[in-house]
Amino acid sequence: MGAQPGEGADPVSVATAPPARISRMTGWLGTLTSTDHKRMGLTLGGLSLLYFLLGGLFALLMRTQLAQSNMHFVSDNSYNELFTMHGSTMIYLFVTPMAIALAVYLVPLQIGATGISAPRLALAGLWTWICGGLIMQQGWFASGGAGRAGWSSYAPLSNGTNTPGVGQDLWVIGVILAAAGMAAMAGCVVATIARRRAPGMALLRMPVFTWTALVTVLMVVASFPILVLVMVLLYIDRHGGHIFTGFTGAIDYQDLFWFFGHPVVYVMFFPYLGAAAEAIAVCSHKRWFGYIAFVASMMAFAAMSTAVWSHHMYTTGGVTNQYFAFTSTLLLVPAGVEYFDAIGTLIGGALVLRTSMLFALTFFLQFLVGGLSGVFVASPVLDYQVYGTYMIVAHFHYTLFAGSIFGFFAGVYHWFPKFTGALLRERLGKLQLVLMVIGTNLTFFPMFFLGNDGMPRRVSRYPTHPGWGTLNELETIGAGIIALGVLVFLVNVWTSLRRRVPAGDDPWLGHTLEWATSSPPPPLNFDRPLPPISSYSPLLDLRHEEMDRGGEPAEVSAAR
Amino acid sequence: MALIDTRREYDHLFGIYVPIAIGVFALILVVMLAAVVIFRRRPAERAARWSEHNALEGSYAALLACVAAFLLYLTFTAEHRVDTVANRQRAAVVVNVIASKWEWTFTYPAYGFSVRSGTVGRQPLVVPAGEAVRFNLTSVDVIHAFWIPALRYKHDAIPGSTQVITLSFTKGVFAGQCAEFCGLRHPDMVFTAHAVSPASFGAWARSRGRGPTP
Repeated sequence: MGAQPGEGADPVSVATAPPARISRMTGWLGTLTSTDHKRMGLTLGGLSLLYFLLGGLFALLMRTQLAQSNMHFVSDNSYNELFTMHGSTMIYLFVTPMAIALAVYLVPLQIGATGISAPRLALAGLWTWICGGLIMQQGWFASGGAGRAGWSSYAPLSNGTNTPGVGQDLWVIGVILAAAGMAAMAGCVVATIARRRAPGMALLRMPVFTWTALVTVLMVVASFPILVLVMVLLYIDRHGGHIFTGFTGAIDYQDLFWFFGHPVVYVMFFPYLGAAAEAIAVCSHKRWFGYIAFVASMMAFAAMSTAVWSHHMYTTGGVTNQYFAFTSTLLLVPAGVEYFDAIGTLIGGALVLRTSMLFALTFFLQFLVGGLSGVFVASPVLDYQVYGTYMIVAHFHYTLFAGSIFGFFAGVYHWFPKFTGALLRERLGKLQLVLMVIGTNLTFFPMFFLGNDGMPRRVSRYPTHPGWGTLNELETIGAGIIALGVLVFLVNVWTSLRRRVPAGDDPWLGHTLEWATSSPPPPLNFDRPLPPISSYSPLLDLRHEEMDRGGEPAEVSAAR
Repeated sequence: MALIDTRREYDHLFGIYVPIAIGVFALILVVMLAAVVIFRRRPAERAARWSEHNALEGSYAALLACVAAFLLYLTFTAEHRVDTVANRQRAAVVVNVIASKWEWTFTYPAYGFSVRSGTVGRQPLVVPAGEAVRFNLTSVDVIHAFWIPALRYKHDAIPGSTQVITLSFTKGVFAGQCAEFCGLRHPDMVFTAHAVSPASFGAWARSRGRGPTP
């Protein structure tokens, strides 16, 4: 899947590009030592995808245990390890790093840069994250098992007395390294945007995806150091430090953790929103609607993300609930603007319903369920009932899975031709979409009812209330259908790479600069001079000019 | 003053939030589908070139802010009743709730006895129906959460603090459970609450303890 060496071996020096030295080594060693942002992005993304499969496997094991009220498929202890490692793997090792991988790969291309700033720091960050992930998963081989105090590992449950053992220590160290590595890579993306934009690429001409990536990496830089701090303190606490003790200790841990933990929720959302937005704009042959309002709404979103954290703590009695209800409910304003812009882009467009577009539309509709239930849980009185229940599990899986993962697949179907030079199969893509839509809603929608009806999360067994058994069985079947959908995706990638349908440079009539170079791009990104940049969709501008001169736009779309 | 009823407060808010959410979802679904159906399969050169309407978008954002203000008004009113007014009510009985891995101990200080939800006897929490019941929540080890789903209310029991909540029950038997993950046997940390008439409660409490202190 890596960049093909030799292609575009004689890159035209672009703009103000400083002389860059990019390793041309091929094979594994080249992949692991290259400071080419594209190869780092693919490595990070590829490994994240493996963790997606691993985290999904944990989910399938959990759903099997929960298929009936009193199954003995796994032990209580194993179940606790599974839900802890499912959440940790998905959050620290898949959705967040994948968001950063997209930014690392795409941002330099979209802003017309020849590479990423501080590439060796980015490579060090990548390796730190790789070590963190491996260390966290090593917990499975520790006596007593892997981390088992939840992905948020609240103190004092996670201290040395209540959760002893090496597995939980490995979890803490793994989180520290993964977070530090991702913060380093995010810092490099911030620097790239600050310093390496091509001439003409003003901040307010940056593509929509790059804006979503910018607010994302800013949130990472602001909040991940807090996670590193709280995990270091937890490690000291676990080894006799007595840091998170008593009521204030317990509240302090949650305050610090969620000060990271809520921004990361949007880190796991924005780049996928950006991917869906690019797919919708390109498939509508129309500029993304309401650019300025969209950028402002995201900046507001990112700023407010640092002021909503304690809505995870309404039931603790340790925070001012009204304040956090106020800030959290207000988030519906910027979120609503994003929907307005998506619809504004569709209206008047010339829509092509290819797989990337369908995933993007499904992203918006399914995320809406997560968003609206988010307004619901922002109310303390409603949260008093549903906090800690399957209602919350439903809510955040609708945002993260039904939302972000669908946005991720919109991005994959949109950019795979750019990453690899080959098109993905449309029919398999649509089959995957259908399976995933059915599976997702079958798995997560019943959880709203179960949670409201009193089923707590993080339990391996549940009472035999009327209806609960059926709903849980449906969810387990749904999880299987999701797995089938993911399998279809893997088959699609395999087939498309084995029997390649060449994509060409710009199969979709793209709007942004990554489509103005070869697929995959050469080591220094651009093998020809950049087009003039006078808006956030420079290639669409060119096409419009051509049309106005009376020429037909070059219809090179290879896919239906 | 009417007794604060957590179930009624929840159901009231639920009855406003959820219909609005369903309406918004239906609206956006219909608009998106309509846009897809109307604007699909047109030649690329027919795509409109406009891409901005900031006045319209600004008005829309202002409308959203009004919706947020409306929801916050409702939430703040209900939250004030549940969290503040309820604790000012005169309580008919006080129960000290001590959470520990993995059982609940309910102490009736006025009567001088305790019951335990754990493996020994699985004794129920007994409360008088139709009156305010005050709970002092604490924990001896990790964070637990005291939750009675039918009352639509839960609150954390955190070591090192005693937190006061006030609930009211209708007659009946209610399932309760720990709602904050607390380790290995978390699923087993359940209890039963029996809400009985004040007279029956008094008789039960006197038979168990030394009788109410004057």
